[in-house]
Amino acid sequence: MKVNIAGQTDKGLIRPNNEDDFFLDPKRGILAVADGMGGHASGEVASKMAVDVLRNYFQQAGEGKAPLISSCYNENYSDETNQLCSAIQLANKAIHEAAKSNPQLYGMGTTLAAIMIQGRKLSIAHVGDSRIYLVRAGEIEQLTDDHTLVYEQVKHDLISKEEAEQSTIRHVLTRALGIAPFVDVDLDEMTLAEGDVLILCSDGLSGMISDQEILLTAASLDNPSVACQQLITMANDKGGKDNITVVAGYLAKKRRFASVLKFFRWFRR
Amino acid sequence: MAEVLLKFKGAVVKEIPLEQDVITIGRKPDNDIVIDNQAVSGHHAKFTNEGESLFIEDTNSLNGTYVNGQKVFKSEIFNGDMVLVGIHTLEVISDRNRDTDPRNATLRGRSMDETMVIAPQDQKNLLAATGKNKPDVLGGFVIVNGSADRRDYLLKERVTTIGKEDGAGIHLKGFFAPKVAALVNRRKEGYFINPSGGKSMKINGQEMISRYDLKDGDLVEVAGLKMQFYVKEE
Repeated sequence: MKVNIAGQTDKGLIRPNNEDDFFLDPKRGILAVADGMGGHASGEVASKMAVDVLRNYFQQAGEGKAPLISSCYNENYSDETNQLCSAIQLANKAIHEAAKSNPQLYGMGTTLAAIMIQGRKLSIAHVGDSRIYLVRAGEIEQLTDDHTLVYEQVKHDLISKEEAEQSTIRHVLTRALGIAPFVDVDLDEMTLAEGDVLILCSDGLSGMISDQEILLTAASLDNPSVACQQLITMANDKGGKDNITVVAGYLAKKRRFASVLKFFRWFRR
Repeated sequence: MAEVLLKFKGAVVKEIPLEQDVITIGRKPDNDIVIDNQAVSGHHAKFTNEGESLFIEDTNSLNGTYVNGQKVFKSEIFNGDMVLVGIHTLEVISDRNRDTDPRNATLRGRSMDETMVIAPQDQKNLLAATGKNKPDVLGGFVIVNGSADRRDYLLKERVTTIGKEDGAGIHLKGFFAPKVAALVNRRKEGYFINPSGGKSMKINGQEMISRYDLKDGDLVEVAGLKMQFYVKEE
């Protein structure tokens, strides 16, 4: 199925630098967003490393299949999903090593949300609080569970969703790349349908505007780069407190009666 | 009594006891700890002994002073802390350890607007106290009546389409079947169904126009399909 993809990142209005990064590979159908953190501008280094490792991993494989790392292989998922997981594991290792050996990079880390679209199969992998949304048939659904302390608290019925949005510790992550030698990556798979829209974003977007606003914007447009631009503008209008990164994938809609039209056109000649 | 290890690229260069009340750090020779490096300001920072506590204070340096990766102006320091000055680190050795209560230790001295990670062990401590851990719900539909391509559908995906569309999880047949009749969402807390754009849907015989949270045994009628929802025991 044909996918139209685009991505954009913006510093926002408050932060002095942009610690977000994103990655697009139209050929393999890969979309990813990384949101770095750490002092000394090392957040920029972490998110860039994550994206670079991801790119190299798939580039080195060329036309062939990218190699899987056995330590994180999960037989319940397809090769594509496991490739995403392997790439993230490699990125984690690279960031962790760099942070360990360089005092200026001490404590740096990054989130990573990545998808791969192959035909109708969608592979999902993520660590941290960058989100992946699916917009389908006028509805929006978050496909990822935020790896934040407040989300864990909601899951365990300690606080309500409303309390979570107001919480002062909503920026505390429970998982990120670069913190430990091994990272637990959440994997998932789905079947895609015509006209589906996938939105990946850093918390600079999801923290500023609501899911409903994302839905309305994504569903009312049909061009991914216009959608990315518009969503970033909306987040900045609300204050742009953090770096904002949006990546969008629009799956082609089959034109109804296309073949019938063609037939009639041919007939009229 | 506290002391610091001056390190460069991981190797210890010097061991410095912190005896006086104020110990200055900088590039110029009049400092107590002289670090001759371009990244260090003339008078970069100072350690201060205040009663029981030991502090690091930045003295208006150009490149800043960092404790455990966080930029600080003045901060209390504890055993094992890493103070970064330019490209040199000062490892603190003292008998005062950081409070190990995870709620305080990992969050202290940082802006709450900044993203940070807490150690896996701290998370377990924070959440273990609750003892609640719900398993994920798994459910599906058994077709009672109507033209679908299977009899039983286990709903594993986060969103499943009921309709004629190619990617639909519950695939309807027939010329007049709608492309998308309804969407079924799977969440941690359970499943819900949403009729698509004005399509008629009945739950247990009742007309339903918006989101409905599915319960075990519910009878759903949509697009000429009659099916029963079930929850699978894990």
